[in-house]
Amino acid sequence: MLAAPAWSATQSADGAQRASQSRDRVPAPAAVAPRSVDADWILQRLTQHGATATPFVELRVSSMLKRPLVLSGEYRRPDAGTLVREVRAPYAETTTIRGSEATIARAGRAARTFSLARVPELAALQGSFGALLAGDRKALETVYALEADGVPADWTLTLTPRDARVAGRVTAIVLRGRDAELRCIETRPKQGDAQPTLLGSAATAAAAVDSLEAAQRLCHDVPR
Amino acid sequence: MSGRPGFRERLLQRPGLRLTLAVAWLLALLALGWIASARLEFSGDLRRFLPDARTPEQRLLMEELGDGPGSRLLMLAISGETPDALADRSRALHDALAGDPRFTLVTNGGEAGLDAFPQDLLPYRYLLTSSFDAAPLDADTLREALDARLQDLGSPAAGLVEPLIPSDPTLEVLALAEAWQPAGAPQRLHDVWFDKAGTQALLLVETRAAGFDPTGQLDAVGTIRDTFATQAAGSTATLDVVGPGAFSVDIGGRTQAEAQRIGMVDTIGLILLLLVAYRSWKMPLLGVLPLASAGIAGLTAVALLFPGGVHGITIAFGFTLIGVVQDYPIHFFSHQRAGLSPWRNVRGLWPALSTGVVATCIAYATFLFSGVDGLRQLAVFTIFALGIAALTTRYLLPGLVDPSPPDLADSPRLQRLWHRIEALPRPKWSLAVLALAAVAAIAWSPGAFWQNDLSKLTPVDPASMQRDTELRAELGAPDVRYVLVAQAKGSDAVLDATAALRPALDALVAGGHLDGYDMAARYLPAADVQRARQAVLPDTATLRTMLAAALAGSDFNEDAFEPFIEDVARAKTAAPLTRADLEGSPLATAVSGLLLEHDDRSTALVSLSGLDDPSDVESLAAQARTAAVDVRLLDMKAASESLVVEYRGRVLAAMAVALVLLVATVWIALRSPRRVWRVLLPTLLTLLVIVAVLRLAGVELTLFHLVALILAAGLGLDYALFFEHAGDDRADQIRTLHAILVCSLMTLLVFSLLALSSIPVLRAIGSTVALGVLCNFVLSLLVARQRAAIDAARAEPLP
Repeated sequence: MLAAPAWSATQSADGAQRASQSRDRVPAPAAVAPRSVDADWILQRLTQHGATATPFVELRVSSMLKRPLVLSGEYRRPDAGTLVREVRAPYAETTTIRGSEATIARAGRAARTFSLARVPELAALQGSFGALLAGDRKALETVYALEADGVPADWTLTLTPRDARVAGRVTAIVLRGRDAELRCIETRPKQGDAQPTLLGSAATAAAAVDSLEAAQRLCHDVPR
Repeated sequence: MSGRPGFRERLLQRPGLRLTLAVAWLLALLALGWIASARLEFSGDLRRFLPDARTPEQRLLMEELGDGPGSRLLMLAISGETPDALADRSRALHDALAGDPRFTLVTNGGEAGLDAFPQDLLPYRYLLTSSFDAAPLDADTLREALDARLQDLGSPAAGLVEPLIPSDPTLEVLALAEAWQPAGAPQRLHDVWFDKAGTQALLLVETRAAGFDPTGQLDAVGTIRDTFATQAAGSTATLDVVGPGAFSVDIGGRTQAEAQRIGMVDTIGLILLLLVAYRSWKMPLLGVLPLASAGIAGLTAVALLFPGGVHGITIAFGFTLIGVVQDYPIHFFSHQRAGLSPWRNVRGLWPALSTGVVATCIAYATFLFSGVDGLRQLAVFTIFALGIAALTTRYLLPGLVDPSPPDLADSPRLQRLWHRIEALPRPKWSLAVLALAAVAAIAWSPGAFWQNDLSKLTPVDPASMQRDTELRAELGAPDVRYVLVAQAKGSDAVLDATAALRPALDALVAGGHLDGYDMAARYLPAADVQRARQAVLPDTATLRTMLAAALAGSDFNEDAFEPFIEDVARAKTAAPLTRADLEGSPLATAVSGLLLEHDDRSTALVSLSGLDDPSDVESLAAQARTAAVDVRLLDMKAASESLVVEYRGRVLAAMAVALVLLVATVWIALRSPRRVWRVLLPTLLTLLVIVAVLRLAGVELTLFHLVALILAAGLGLDYALFFEHAGDDRADQIRTLHAILVCSLMTLLVFSLLALSSIPVLRAIGSTVALGVLCNFVLSLLVARQRAAIDAARAEPLP
């Protein structure tokens, strides 16, 4: 933990370098660095090899709270059209996103259903997850502008909403991953801090995370 | 009259000058008509055409409701696209209409009032909400709410509720917004209302204009349709608008379109008829001048004497009634011939013409005392119109006609027709039989005599009615017919009285006898209810203790809820919310339709939807009625029908007086019982025959039939007067025959086309008058002429 800041700094610099390479369309030297990725490559990997269920850890920061709210649970895709977000700790709550509607069920209360049009954050979540897991680039591109970056071992896919209503709330959704594993989804709201959702092995590693910075670090950094 | 013989001589010698003057007159009328139509204040308010209210129900209907809350509602359905596209259309239409002052309510089930809740009223949420009525706010409730809010913060939609939480940890704003959703609201897809099948997006719009006000409804419905047409241009989406307002607009448009079509055919027919009858292209032009002048004069008189606005029905009825003046120039033209000065001619006709006009005007004058604004307007309109038509025919038209057309009495064809008519047997006792048969038919025909439901005359087509029923059920929109009403001195009394009905109404809803209800007390509790809620709100110290207990061990900061403490403290000491405080908020519109406040009394309405049995609510109302608060179930259909009955009573009384005056006028003018009898018999007999035929055909009589009967009587009187006036002279009789043939053919053409209309109100007027023309013509021909003339004609050999 002590070494983390230094490690993080090198990683960031590394990332910036990669980004500039990609923009300049300079082919990566095959012998030294792995080849760069494109959106098709990422989507294909995720669809074919990605898990249909993955643990997650999310951090919520609010001025009302003494400490960040750390949620953990599981994202599932029981079928092509459905995404389930099940929070297990610190409380139980299941959000089912199907089609253009979301249903939130809480222990001891009647489930509430509302339209995704009202909550662009949820629409963004479903859009990214849904299209990712279906691997449908065309569908994804109707909703977002895609920008892929990085190498197979450490890639990012940035989704920028095209719909003005969604864009008014969410500036971008950044997906980070390693090979076929999606490690983190970072939703960047128009106002406030980016709220990272750690997935898969990142989520397992994040079990004890307690600050936004730490979570963001875990999201950005790929262990080698 | 003889003041300027020089000018008259000049006119007689110069056809060009005559034509120029005629065209100038027509152009002047067109200009006046254009000015009048631009300046005239048309009122569509049907109430001005109805008598003053007498019963409490009538008074409510007329003065308070303007047809009740249900009839100001329009139901909109958008279909033809995918549900999410329809939802977008619904939102776009909602946003476009919501700010329009023509609508008091536009709702599609979308985000309920959260942003619209006025900031300065926010603390009042603790006085408006019923959340803490059963159990006051305590630490446990708070603790539970805080747990739920923590989950809200953990949800991906945290951004939505996070700003609300510090001041409103129990989210009362949301609870109120949900409670204020219309009762029995439809399902929501994509956050807007949809029908059960999920194929139509639904919206509910309440117009500011009353259901009584066709002009306002036309404006409102037009705005909705135009807005949607602009927004949905090029797409497959379609919009249906149903509801009483939309129906009245549709039927009004259809009636107008059909009347215009008929009017077009009529105009062509009339021009052809005049061309054939007089073989002169000038006659149609000259013939229309008195009628057009009459219309303009009538409109002007009404506009000057009734600054409050001319009623649309006055215009419609009025123009129907003054159709009779079209006959005046015809009589004049038919008698014009070489060697007879037009002025001399018109002077010769004047006794018959003026008797007809004076008698009819006196008859219409009785309407002035009917006590109904609309009827007074009608009387003024027709009296002025008839007078002007007679005067223009008498003093202006002679200067413009060709002074020496061929004498119609020389026409061999007319002479042959004349002789054939002469050969017909004269009825005598057969008329008595006819009268008796007519009376018997009137008395013993099965079926109701009167039709009190005026809406039967302007029926909504079954498909639209079906659509209305469907959407009304889907939207839980209130019934148009029944409304529960509480009246008392002050608003609190009526709010309390209606709020007290809620358990019983809820029971009806639970039992499936009622789909839903709405009342002002849902939005604005009475002051004592608010005070009671205030009393159980914790004071600041108690609330702090409560909050501290709830926050123990929670993730929330100790000071996160200071705004909440402030809001509760403000609610605790605030003066109860009144109607006036709501001004400018969306709640004001919801309350305004349901709570009507006056200086001396307040009326609260409870709109009912899907009511199975009115007696359920009637007994409820009877139980709730006290000395201070009058609660009753208002049947608007019954109330409006009772108004129609009263109205008809006044029209009939006016008609009876008119008949007596008419007989008296004719008597004074003709001064001989025999002549009076000859003139009045055809007219009176015709009235009997028309009513008998209508009854035998199963027609239930309405106000429109009565107005048409008045016109028929006026026409009959004119025919008889002219036949009678023609006297013994054979040539004059032939000219009169020609004139009355042309007159009755014209009237028959106009009104039989109306009788063939698909719209019952046009059919009612058309069939009555057409029947009257036929019957009057035949009877006048056979009865009204002088005996000596007939005998002389029979003695002559056939030409």
